Amino acid sequence: MNILLGPLAADLVLVIGMGSVLVTDLILPPGDKRLLGWGALYTLLAALLATFAMELTGPAIFGAYVGDPVALMFKRVFLAAGVLAALGSLTQLAERFERRQGEYWVLLLSSVLGMSLLAGARDLVLLVVCFELMGVPLYVLAAWARDDRLAIEGALKLFLLGAVSSVTLLFGISLLTGICGSTMISEVALYSREHTNPALLLGAALTLGGMGFKLGVFPFHMWVPDTYQGSTTPFVAFLSVAPKAAAIAALVRLLIAGGNALLVGVVPMLITLAAATLVMGNLLALHQTQVKRLLAYSGVGHMGLLLMALATGTELGLSMLLFYLVAYLFTNAGAFLVVHAVTGDEGDDLALFEGLYARSGWLAMAMLLFLLSLAGIPFVVGFWAKLYIFLAAWAGGLQWLVLLGALLSVLALYYYLRVVISMFMRPPPTPIEPIVPDWGTNTAIALCLLFVVGMGLVPGPFVEAASNAAQGFDGAIVAMPRSTAP
Amino acid sequence: MIAGDLRVFLTVSAVMFCIGVYGILSRRNAIGVLLCLELMANAVNLNLVAFARFSTGTMGQVFTLFAIALTVAEVVVGMALVILLQRTHRDIRLDVAEEMRG
Repeated sequence: MNILLGPLAADLVLVIGMGSVLVTDLILPPGDKRLLGWGALYTLLAALLATFAMELTGPAIFGAYVGDPVALMFKRVFLAAGVLAALGSLTQLAERFERRQGEYWVLLLSSVLGMSLLAGARDLVLLVVCFELMGVPLYVLAAWARDDRLAIEGALKLFLLGAVSSVTLLFGISLLTGICGSTMISEVALYSREHTNPALLLGAALTLGGMGFKLGVFPFHMWVPDTYQGSTTPFVAFLSVAPKAAAIAALVRLLIAGGNALLVGVVPMLITLAAATLVMGNLLALHQTQVKRLLAYSGVGHMGLLLMALATGTELGLSMLLFYLVAYLFTNAGAFLVVHAVTGDEGDDLALFEGLYARSGWLAMAMLLFLLSLAGIPFVVGFWAKLYIFLAAWAGGLQWLVLLGALLSVLALYYYLRVVISMFMRPPPTPIEPIVPDWGTNTAIALCLLFVVGMGLVPGPFVEAASNAAQGFDGAIVAMPRSTAP
Repeated sequence: MIAGDLRVFLTVSAVMFCIGVYGILSRRNAIGVLLCLELMANAVNLNLVAFARFSTGTMGQVFTLFAIALTVAEVVVGMALVILLQRTHRDIRLDVAEEMRG
C-alpha cells in the first residue's frame, strides 16, 4: 500500500473528499446544502497542506506516476486555483444554484484530481485518462447557469473544441505508442531519439495540437472569450488558470522528459505557435469592450509566453515556466474574482467598472494591482515573471521572440490601462452604490493580492523553489541542438 | 519501420480521421457533429487495434478499451449539452449559438 500509493496521498485526500461530498449531498435536505461547499473547501485545503507537510516523492502505480518536485509544484498550483475558485463560488452557489451545489463541488474536485494526477503522469494511458478526468467536468461546469443562452453557447463551444482536441491528442498518442511499442514516455523518448520516422513527428505534432486547444493558443483560441463570457465568473477564475497549467504540465512531461527527444521535432511548430499567440492575443484584446473578453484575450497572449519558455527546452526555461505559472495563477484568478465581485451576474461590460474607485476603493486598488501585474509593471509579480521568461528565452536562443514579446507588452499596456482609466477617472453612475463583496470572494481576492504583492517585493524564495523543482525533474534535460530553431 | 499490412490499416484510419475533421467543420447540426466526433474516435481505436495486432500486443488492446470508455464519457456530456441547447434556443443547429463574437 505504501509503496504503491504513498506519493498519491494528496490525491487520495481529494478522492475521499469527493466521495464524502457526493454521499452527503444525498443525505442533506434541500435548503441545507451549504455544508457541501465547506466540505469541498476543506478537502482542497487539506490536500494543499499535504503537499507541503508530507513526503510525496517517488514513483507510484507501477511507475505510471511519479511524484517529482515539478509534479508537486504543479499540484500546488492546481489546488490553490481550486481553493480560490471554491472561496469565490461559495456564496454565489448558495444563493443562485441552491439545489445543485453538491454536483458542482464533486465536479470541481474531480477536475482538480485529474489535473493533480496529470502533473506526474509518466505513462501515456494515465496521461490520457487524467486529461479527460480534468476536461469532462469542465464542460458541465461551464454550462452551470443552464437557463442562460450565453452560458450554453459558451459551454458548447468549449465542449466541441475540447472534444476535438482530446480525440486529436488520442490520435497523436496512438501513433506514438504504436510506433514506439510502449506507453511509457521515457521509452517513447528513447525510441524517438534513436529513430527518425515521419509518423513519430506527426504523432508529436498532433499531440501538441490537441494540447494547444486546451491551452487556448492561437489558432485554437476561439472558445476562450466566448466560454469566459458565458460561464459563471468564479468558475472562469479556475478555468483560466488550472486547465492551462495542466496542459503545460502534460507538455513538459511529454516533450522535455527523456532529454527533449520529442521536443526537437516540434520546436519550429512551438515557436510559430508562440509568436502567433503573442501577436493575436494582444491585438484582439485591443478593441474589447467587455472585461471578461479582454482578460480572455490577454490570457491568450500570456499562453504565448509560456510556450516560449517551453520551446527553450532548458532547465532555466522550465524553472521560469513554473515561476510564471504561480504568478499567473494569483494574478489572473484575482482579476477574475474582482470582476465577479463588481459585476455579480449582470454581464461584464466595461461600463460597469466606471467610477469603481468611488464605489469600492478596495476592489479598485486590487484590480489595479492585478492589471499592473498582468501588464508586467515593476514591483508586482507579473514583472518578474515576464522578465525571467524573457531571460530564459534569450539564453535559449530565441532572441527575436523576446523582442516581439517585449514590444507586445508595451501594446498590452494600452488595453489594461483602459480598464484602469474607467475605474479611476470616469464618474460613477449616480446615485453611488457601494459594492460589498461576499466574504469568500473578499478572502480570495485578499489572498491573491497578498501573493501578487509579496512575490513582487520578494521574488527570491519563489524563484529558488522553482529552480530547485526544475533541478529535481524526473527525466534528464540535455541541451538541444540549436540548429532546429529557425 | 512500418510493416506493409499495418500501413493499410493506418491509411484507412487516417482517412477516417480526416473525414471526421471535415464533417465537424462542415456539419451544422449538433448531432451530426457528434457523429463525426465518433468517427474520429473510431479512427483512433482502429489505429490502436492495428498496432496491437502488429507491435504493441495486449497493451494496445487495453489502451483501446480505455479510449472507448473516455470517448463515451465525453459524448454523453455532449449530448446533455445538445439537449440544453434545444431548451434554451429551441433548435439544435449550431448556427443559432453564434451570439458572441469578436
